Amino acid sequence: MSEPKTVLIIDDDHDFVNAIEALLQSSGYQVRSAFDGKEGLHLARTLKPDLILLDIMMTERTEGFFVLQEARRTPELSHTPVIVISSIYAELPVFRVNPEAGWLPADLFLPKPVDPARLLAEVGRLTDAARSATSGSAAARRES
Amino acid sequence: MKILKIPKENLDLFVAVLPAFGEVYAPVRRGSGFAFDRPGRWTEVQMNYPRTILPPKKFFLPPRETTFKFDSSKGYQDQLAEATKPVVLFGVHAYDIFGLNILDRVFSQGRYVDPYYVARRQNITIIGVDFQPDDKHFAYSMNADFVESGFDLFLNDIGEDYLVLVGTSRGDDIVLMSGCLLQAPTEADFAEYKRRAGMRRSAYRTRLELEELPEILEMEYHSKVWEEMGERCLSCGSCSAVCPTCYCFDVNDELELGGNAGSRIRSWDSCLFKNHALVAGGENFRATRASRIKFRYYHKQRGFVAEYGRPSCVGCGRCVAACPAKIDIVTVIETIRGERDESRSGVAAKA
Repeated sequence: MSEPKTVLIIDDDHDFVNAIEALLQSSGYQVRSAFDGKEGLHLARTLKPDLILLDIMMTERTEGFFVLQEARRTPELSHTPVIVISSIYAELPVFRVNPEAGWLPADLFLPKPVDPARLLAEVGRLTDAARSATSGSAAARRES
Repeated sequence: MKILKIPKENLDLFVAVLPAFGEVYAPVRRGSGFAFDRPGRWTEVQMNYPRTILPPKKFFLPPRETTFKFDSSKGYQDQLAEATKPVVLFGVHAYDIFGLNILDRVFSQGRYVDPYYVARRQNITIIGVDFQPDDKHFAYSMNADFVESGFDLFLNDIGEDYLVLVGTSRGDDIVLMSGCLLQAPTEADFAEYKRRAGMRRSAYRTRLELEELPEILEMEYHSKVWEEMGERCLSCGSCSAVCPTCYCFDVNDELELGGNAGSRIRSWDSCLFKNHALVAGGENFRATRASRIKFRYYHKQRGFVAEYGRPSCVGCGRCVAACPAKIDIVTVIETIRGERDESRSGVAAKA
């Protein structure tokens, strides 16, 4: 039986975190949480989670963007799947930059409020893909 | 040139989009000074800073870089890939952009083009920002307080907004990606820009007269001022390190154990260092500190003029700030010009 997958939630909204934690734990995920970017990066480096759920508007309204950039610069996190979940487009109508235009190094962007079923499906998809990639690499190394 | 504007309150969102064009470096606090580094959050970015400790030249001419590796079994492998990493330098002052334009003349034009410098110049996006001069800035005197090219975007403070000048097609790409963050400016914005530009020119407290300076330096070649400076100068090379346009470098081969492979390393050098003019056989053409510091001044204010048509000094004031012996270039030049009493000036900056 494979190890349970770990999801790290980085979000300053405690109610949102509690709700997503319950959702993911009921589906068999281990969940850890951080409530600001600095704490989140520290936990991510320590835990090396299977996936990160990242908010953008925290202590500063662009905090999540900087956290994501720093995570991608960190070797052990550069390939960790990241789903950005944010209400930035609803709260800042002037910010109309398409999140899929190549500037956001996340695997997926989901607007808040997030559809729980969609979130679960995407978390499953991305963590399965990441684990397949990891086990494939390990098998290739063993063969060589 | 396309001109737009961005409200200051939206600058954080604008910077969030910049990683699409490379790793973002911006002025952040470093001890008691400032440095170009990757900000951990928007509030670390300093939009109003006097100068950074090291100029942006460190991105284009790294203090130490491997130009190629060699191996008896594999031949040569250049390290150009390192030089092609995309970077965005955000918040560069005009005199620093001017300094890069000067380095362009040395490294990217003429007969011998440096591929590493050129690769970095092509892959580094420059977003400039204006600044308020302090008591060490004299960029206005050096005609380097304003720059017309060498940047992709340039931000000018007009109060609640920044006027954004688009300098290149890459700058235009950034504007297009930023969507609604940028707006069309108004006549009132242009009027405010002109008003503030005039105020900025008037705000320079340090001025340097450049007229006939190369000729005066020629006449003062044997002035005792250089001996006095030689006594004060520590030959530490700080002035060269912090200068946007000093570009002397040394080249060394570092071998691996066994001697079959190694790397060719290029690293910063300084004409202030004792061995800078030391040649094979033991002759040192500038053995004394006086001769070395004189050489630096002559190169900056006379030699470069003869070769490239203007002094290579951009008036950033970093050498004044960095010199542990408190040697002030403006004081020295004024003394040489006879505008300052040598017996009283001591060719040193005011304490």
